[in-house]
Amino acid sequence: MATAAFSTRAVLRGASKAAVPKKTSLAYQMHKQLYPHLYAQNQDAAAAPTDAIPEASRQLTESKVSSILEKERASRKAPWSKKDTPSSRFSVLPSRTKRHTSGIVLHPAKPSIHKQCPDPIATVTTSSIAQLDPTGARTRLFAKTNPEGARVGDILLVRQRTGDPFAGVCINIRRRGVDTAILLRGQLTRVGVEMWYKVYSPLVEGIEVVQRAKKRARRARLTFMRTVKHDRGSVENVTRIYLRQKAALGSADGKKKAGAVGAAKGGNRRGKKR
Amino acid sequence: MPPRPALNWGLLPPSFLLPSSTRSLLPSIPIATHLSQSQTPSYTPIRTIKSTNTPRPDRFAHNPHKDALTSTSTAALDRRAHSTPLRTGLLGIKRGMTALFDTETGKRTPCTILQLDRNEVIAHKTRDKHGYFAVQIGAGSKQAYNVSRPMLGHFAEAGVAPKRWVAEFQVKTEQGLAVKVGEEVGARWFTPGQFVDVRGVSRGMGFAGGMKRHGFGGQPASHGQSLMHRGMGSAGGSQGSGSRVLPGKRMAGRMGNERVTVKNLKVMQVDEANGIVVVHGAVPGPKNQIIRIQDALGKPWPQGPMSLADIAPATIAAAGEAAADAPAATATV
Repeated sequence: MATAAFSTRAVLRGASKAAVPKKTSLAYQMHKQLYPHLYAQNQDAAAAPTDAIPEASRQLTESKVSSILEKERASRKAPWSKKDTPSSRFSVLPSRTKRHTSGIVLHPAKPSIHKQCPDPIATVTTSSIAQLDPTGARTRLFAKTNPEGARVGDILLVRQRTGDPFAGVCINIRRRGVDTAILLRGQLTRVGVEMWYKVYSPLVEGIEVVQRAKKRARRARLTFMRTVKHDRGSVENVTRIYLRQKAALGSADGKKKAGAVGAAKGGNRRGKKR
Repeated sequence: MPPRPALNWGLLPPSFLLPSSTRSLLPSIPIATHLSQSQTPSYTPIRTIKSTNTPRPDRFAHNPHKDALTSTSTAALDRRAHSTPLRTGLLGIKRGMTALFDTETGKRTPCTILQLDRNEVIAHKTRDKHGYFAVQIGAGSKQAYNVSRPMLGHFAEAGVAPKRWVAEFQVKTEQGLAVKVGEEVGARWFTPGQFVDVRGVSRGMGFAGGMKRHGFGGQPASHGQSLMHRGMGSAGGSQGSGSRVLPGKRMAGRMGNERVTVKNLKVMQVDEANGIVVVHGAVPGPKNQIIRIQDALGKPWPQGPMSLADIAPATIAAAGEAAADAPAATATV
């Protein structure tokens, strides 16, 4: 019965007439439903090609298979070859992603807040410094880039809102944005005293340079000045002379307001004199 | 169930051989045999000893004439109603600490800066469907190939890009769901002056001793102390106390890297454009740690915006106020 429709395969199969299921059999019906295209051409195909295809493929000899594989290999370019265009080289990743996201609507991400504000601490700090130090005098006085700014080893005078000024040798400058602070070492009632002052604190009305260090300190923190050998002791005399000179100058200049800026300038003047 | 066959009383041993407890049942035997001839009973009462215990009332049975049951989910939600926020919280990233100075008093306030990164509403949880009201918030962004397909679908349904962090904030009533799915909530969700609770995972300290982990006192450095300075000391009494270590004894072990809540932090500043929320004090975790920010439970609920529509007029009102204030300010100056 296996003759006309599947002639080629039948030939491949040779004359072996396998047991072909009848048209009414369940196997035939199922096969017809699964592979209707095999039955479309010839309605009168008597034989069901149940095992025709695998049988045919089995007929392919080893050489045939290898030749086909060779052909395929030749047609496929090696992904690492230099001649290769980048499109095929990188085609693996997008395709995988595409498969991963296929059928799903991907909404584009909004721009990150990092683009808008990469350093929020700087943003907040800058705004609060602008509020606390509108003239920028304090920032300039303790800026590292300012050659005329205050350095460790200088004698600084801090005028406070409470009224009591405090003078001492600056032995440490802690630069932390709005938290920038200075450590002054002086004497009160002949007792060594160290005081931390927040540079931008509203309780600090002004900081003036009383006397500059003779030489640039080669250390960032002059903690050695706490020892008896290096202790500067009282800076009261220096401060008194400075204040007297400043008062004289101030009256001569026409009562110039001695703010933080003036203080820095005054200190500078004093430094130049020596 | 097939009817049980009647017992074959013929096989019963003589009554004097039966246990004394069954003797009282013996007179009923003829009746039982009689019944077995006419109709098969569903059970033989002889075989059971009826319990004298009155059945306990079912605590799950609802009786409309009695008080509301406390074992229902409604009752459970009602119990927690006072501590459930009215509106959703947000996800912030801890950026670091700084300080603010009060220009009037000169008081310095240490504060933490939190940044909100593209907080968007992903989903709503409702009482009908999920058993409670909650707002699901997503923050940050993530590459699509790093997100599983179910989650991609979840984000797509909300109309948002894939999110790096997703969290859920339970709200008390349906009014808390006034922020719509897909909407972006910014820093103005919080008002300066209000109090918030923040939650985050604390920095991991690794294996820490008792002194660091629990603040134990340790031992003296000298006075004949031998090879024991930072130990935890005794772990408990001996025979009189049971010769065992009591459960929960504080010892050395892994410290940190656990969820920590800091309550009642005041919101100092808010910057919508830069997504900045400045809160008073310290916040758990390292920098760039994701932090949950929520209205404080320990304070009266803030009069904050319940939806984005509430925020929009506020900007106009603030602008109007500023305009109104400006002439006054110039007058004083």
